[in-house]
Amino acid sequence: MMFAHGFGCDQDMWRYVWPAFQDRHRVVLFDHVGAGGADPRAFDRQRHASLRGYAEDVASIVRELDLRDVIFVGHSVSAMIGVLAAAAEPGRFGSLVLIGPSPRYIDDGSYVGGFSAQDIDELLDSMDSNYVGWSGTLAPMIMGNADRPELGEELTRSFCRTDPEMARHFARVTFTSDNRADLAAVRIPSLVLQCSEDPIAPEIVGSFVAERLPRGRFVQLQATGHCPNLSAPEETISAITAFLGET
Amino acid sequence: MAQESAEDLFEHAPCGYLSCSIDGTIIRVNRTFETWTGYDRGELVGRAFRELLTPAGRIYHETHCRPLLTLRGSVREVALDIVCASGARLPALINSTQRLDEAGRPQTVRTTITEATDRRFYERELLRAGRLERDIAVQLQRSLLAGELASSKSLCVDARYHAAQLGMEVGGDWYDVFWLQDEETVGLVVGDVVGHDIAAAAAMGQLRSATRALALTGLPPGRLLDALDAYAVRHDVGRMTTAIYAELHTCTGDMRYAAAGHPPPLLINPDKDPEYLWDGRSAPLHAIGNGSCRSQATTRIETGGTLLLYTDGLIERRRQSLDLGLEHLASEAGEHHALELGPLLTRLVDRMGDNFSDDRCLLGARRLD
Repeated sequence: MMFAHGFGCDQDMWRYVWPAFQDRHRVVLFDHVGAGGADPRAFDRQRHASLRGYAEDVASIVRELDLRDVIFVGHSVSAMIGVLAAAAEPGRFGSLVLIGPSPRYIDDGSYVGGFSAQDIDELLDSMDSNYVGWSGTLAPMIMGNADRPELGEELTRSFCRTDPEMARHFARVTFTSDNRADLAAVRIPSLVLQCSEDPIAPEIVGSFVAERLPRGRFVQLQATGHCPNLSAPEETISAITAFLGET
Repeated sequence: MAQESAEDLFEHAPCGYLSCSIDGTIIRVNRTFETWTGYDRGELVGRAFRELLTPAGRIYHETHCRPLLTLRGSVREVALDIVCASGARLPALINSTQRLDEAGRPQTVRTTITEATDRRFYERELLRAGRLERDIAVQLQRSLLAGELASSKSLCVDARYHAAQLGMEVGGDWYDVFWLQDEETVGLVVGDVVGHDIAAAAAMGQLRSATRALALTGLPPGRLLDALDAYAVRHDVGRMTTAIYAELHTCTGDMRYAAAGHPPPLLINPDKDPEYLWDGRSAPLHAIGNGSCRSQATTRIETGGTLLLYTDGLIERRRQSLDLGLEHLASEAGEHHALELGPLLTRLVDRMGDNFSDDRCLLGARRLD
């Protein structure tokens, strides 16, 4: 059972969820390149220019660990990364659990994604603002500046660490992606977990995904927001457990 | 002494102050926030805080702030815009902490909002200045490396340069090929100045020019590197620069070369295994005292043979030793030596190294019939 975090955080996102599955499953957690403890040198602008590169990373982990019958649990953008990975390695994935998925964030004709292209440009700009202070304080830590040990401590305590350049890149790739056409290729049972009042992936998008997936199921959660794995772990766990019991 | 009531401290604090339930619904706001946003509390209480943000701000808040709040209990100095009743935007810095109940469960989230109009403007200026500096450095480097490389009917030369993908995307690597006085010998150079900024590009330009000037005085390679070292020390430029300098006689294929702390040249002669030239080595610039006498060595490039000079970015790769990098380069170059020089270099630079953190520079010279 493999858990993939979304944009903005790292595998810490799963800390309240994965322990519930460790008895019955081999649990695999990882950080996407640019997040958490991932080796920054694995970042490659060409490879990671689209979600396929991130999906290829997932497929590499699955191959490297020689995993079969993988239950892939993807949050946010990792839902689509899972869809692409399952297509790349069809024999190795058993089912998909997609939490707050969106195959396209930007509106397109009659398709409602929830955002305009301008909104996304603004997001990329605002990320610059939010990282202005980042590099200044983190650069000395990375370079092992010994006269400010409190910085190192801060670093080890910090959750959801992301490299600003790579986070910005990931944001662009994520929010300009369009994977609507890839949904039909998924031949394995797939669960869409939809939050209430999700400001990033609204309900209409979640139902769109479930309808396009040949073996898609749609489950509406009571949890609000975009991160039920943090805000409502029990409800998330029982929804996944129920789905796994049926498949 | 004048007394301050807690109520007044809250209501008229010099920052917007609001309290939300865990799901983000506004429970209480202070007077300052009402004044700044133009909403009154009746319009705010019961609404979700994120509704006061721009769509972009909502994404950031939902993907960064709320997870951090849950995991760490607080977020600090987040830059977000608040959309006021008039539709105007209030650039703000936001700090939030979770308030726990007695059992340690999160109860409410308290948020202060500080106006950050000037700060945001200043940050934009900083970012713009940073981009400008990068553009200048890239242009400077490109102009320094511009110009044709010396070649002739009997010598084909070509180079590839890939800048590192992160950071300034400008490097201190350089390559150069030029004719010496006799018009039959070429000087070949590859160097690596530490750093990825304008200073590195400028130092590279100085050392590149100095090498050319020194080469025309007729100094042999070892002495040339001594003189370059003395120049670098005297003018305090290019600390720990590594470089390789070779003089190749285009008719005979005889070559003299010397390397200052630089990875060894790779020689691929026809019908022979690729061979690294480990002789003629000495320390990087600035690393040894004055009056040193750097060693040099000689070899011969046969007709059809190829010499490859490169920087360490080409042979370094994460989780791989340097030896393995050298081995990899030699086997790739040997296997594909039948390719024309240009395609060979392209192949090597694409296959080798780690395109993340260091520049990859590769210079090739092939003797023709």
